[in-house]
Amino acid sequence: MTFLSRLRFRDAGTLLGLILIGAVFAIMAPTFLTGPNLLNVLQQSSINACIALGMTLVIISGGIDLTVGPVAALSAVLAATMMVAGVPVPLALLGAVCVGLACGALSAALIAIGGLQPFIVTLGGLSLFRAVALIFTGGQPIFGLPEGFRAVTNGNILSIPNPVLIVAVFAILAWIILNKTPLGEYFMAVGGNPEAARIAGVPVIMTKFAAYMISGLMAAVAAMILIGRLGAAEPTMGTLWELDAIAASAIGGASLMGGRGSILGTLIGCIILGTLRNGLTLLNVQAFYQLLATGIIIIVAMLIDKATSKQE
Amino acid sequence: MAPRLSLTHVEKSFGARKVLHGVSLLVQPGEVHGLLGENGAGKSTMLNILSGVLSKDSGTIEIDGKPVTITSPRSASEAGIAMIHQELQQVPELTVAQNIYLGGALRMAGGLLVDRAAQEAEAKRLLAPLDPNIDVTAPIRGLRVAQRQLVEIAKALRAKARIIAMDEPTSSLTPSEFEKLVTVIAGLTAQGVSIIYVSHKMDEVFRVCQNATILRDGKLIAQVPIPQTPVAQVIETMVGRELAHVTHHSHATSRVMMQVNGLSRGKAVQDASFDLHAGEVVGIAGLVGAGRTELLRLISGVDRADSGTVEVEGAVLPQAGPRARIKAGLGLVPEERKRDGIIRHRPVTTNIGLPAMNKFTQGGLIQKRKLKARSEELMKEVNLRPFDVSKPIGSFSGGNQQKAIIGRWLAADTKIYLFDEPTRGIDVGAKAEIYDLIEKLAREGRAIIVVSSELPEVIRVSDRVLVMREGRISATLSGPDITEANIVRNAIPAS
Repeated sequence: MTFLSRLRFRDAGTLLGLILIGAVFAIMAPTFLTGPNLLNVLQQSSINACIALGMTLVIISGGIDLTVGPVAALSAVLAATMMVAGVPVPLALLGAVCVGLACGALSAALIAIGGLQPFIVTLGGLSLFRAVALIFTGGQPIFGLPEGFRAVTNGNILSIPNPVLIVAVFAILAWIILNKTPLGEYFMAVGGNPEAARIAGVPVIMTKFAAYMISGLMAAVAAMILIGRLGAAEPTMGTLWELDAIAASAIGGASLMGGRGSILGTLIGCIILGTLRNGLTLLNVQAFYQLLATGIIIIVAMLIDKATSKQE
Repeated sequence: MAPRLSLTHVEKSFGARKVLHGVSLLVQPGEVHGLLGENGAGKSTMLNILSGVLSKDSGTIEIDGKPVTITSPRSASEAGIAMIHQELQQVPELTVAQNIYLGGALRMAGGLLVDRAAQEAEAKRLLAPLDPNIDVTAPIRGLRVAQRQLVEIAKALRAKARIIAMDEPTSSLTPSEFEKLVTVIAGLTAQGVSIIYVSHKMDEVFRVCQNATILRDGKLIAQVPIPQTPVAQVIETMVGRELAHVTHHSHATSRVMMQVNGLSRGKAVQDASFDLHAGEVVGIAGLVGAGRTELLRLISGVDRADSGTVEVEGAVLPQAGPRARIKAGLGLVPEERKRDGIIRHRPVTTNIGLPAMNKFTQGGLIQKRKLKARSEELMKEVNLRPFDVSKPIGSFSGGNQQKAIIGRWLAADTKIYLFDEPTRGIDVGAKAEIYDLIEKLAREGRAIIVVSSELPEVIRVSDRVLVMREGRISATLSGPDITEANIVRNAIPAS
């Protein structure tokens, strides 16, 4: 019971939402509640979870990162080009990571030093990074990724898909950063009240750089998982990823005003979105209605949030 | 004649916590009625019930003998109650006239269009007896706080308010602006308007009120006629204990801790130079806008100076923001606690630990237990109420938030404390605790600057007083020269 008693009120609420949605599907679709299908849900949620982990930290620090999809595409096409050209895989991965960090640093510089608004800066970045990816590839997908690399992202350990394990490792790291390190406190302080944080000696600029660079890094990680699975990198990949990630963070309790959010909540938020898609697909519901359900879930989650947050 | 306002046996609970225990309030027509009590005594809850922000659980409200039901700010306004908040609730970009008619615009063309000309003419008429110099077509952001307050009063008159509740109306006013407000209040009461006056400043309460209702812990303790009751008795009734009468002890040494040389920024601060010694408390007095807050912000690195230097123990500090200044041993306790001080949703512990996270970190991880133990130790010393350092700081009263913000610098081993209006919006009991804390810091050899608009406060805590006028230090007073008369004479611009 210690786990349950330590579970924060808000996270417990998100978990309850997941259980309810899961229960409905379990009743309606007999194949939903089976081991392979549940692992499938986790695997399908893993890319969004990757992105959402970084997004949650950015949102907590009072920002937003709309560039994640294009940043993922850019690091994907760079890493794929390097691999196809025969560069060793670890070096190509390092290249992808550097692209993610550099894109994050660019957004952070404009926001933290230039004093521009995060929404506008990353909206600009959204077009800019996508354009660079398209120009770099001439709009063509890059095929022929090495089998050795693909084996890592398509493999599994003890029948748990590797992408799920990769996300789990990053989630634990993100949780530690947010809850156990000064940087995590700085995220919450800068997002909660930037001026008070500055006066209290919080390194505000460094904190914002950390948030956007982690978000860029997570976009690169998500890109690697996806190109490993597909065996190709497309410059158009990652379209609308930012919206799924923001939705998962919000369902999980992150406040878009900054200062509040939860890693565990975000993960559950990702699984809720994944479950919804998986369950509705099992029930042969048309994609249009899946979109409808996603929209309704996001709004309902926010309404419940509003109604219960006063009592906390 | 029926009383103007009669609250009988009003009760209110938040969840399981009862905040008003059958409180009653009786205000006569044309009376200025003080509502007194420490923070948390229930004054704000009462005002919120009167102005329709909160609804009461039980009890009755009568105006001029007729029972009224107040369910929303609009119904309160219709019942003739207006509220002037401490933090004025105005839209800065709108004009004076638009603010006066906010929520009740004058219409024309069958209600489709706002009749701005009529609004402006009417606003001008309402403001004429209050301050004819206010331009009703100017945006409200350009006005001084005192003028904005008069605009709020005009708005109350526009709504035909018979009861105006003023919450800490003088917290940002200069003494001469207060005198002006006294005249305005006299004018209102002469027309039969009743005023509910909430303030922590006893001299003001005794100046303007005829009667006062004293609350403590959500209970009605007494209703007293004001001029006839001794100040000390009123305070004792509020606090529920006798406050020790204190005299000032100086702990100043000859060791110079900080030197400020020619610090300037625009017109706000010009060529400010002074020394601060270990164990010394230097007060900075002056009118609002004299550059006191700006000077503290320059010293603490929050704003960049155009020229001039700050030296701590002989070393010139670089121009590099608050973080570097904190490392050099300075700490600012800002005036606007909500805006510049607290991280509302975070617990007291992390609000305390924020500047000195390295002291509570090992191997990259925060040692939460150590932080909590240190926070509890510090907060026990300053008597944090309620004593729970894990609660979000936003759930504490102003005085207790202030204790946590001061605790933040104690935890960081700060040597030089810069207090900006340390007791603004803080009740009498917590005030005394903060004075004691300042004296204790001085006794321990730290150096302290206190900016304050309350002269009794400056005089009480300071070893030396710098008076600022229009951005410059106009006088340095020490010992027996520290008197209200000397401070005021040097603070007022020669015109």
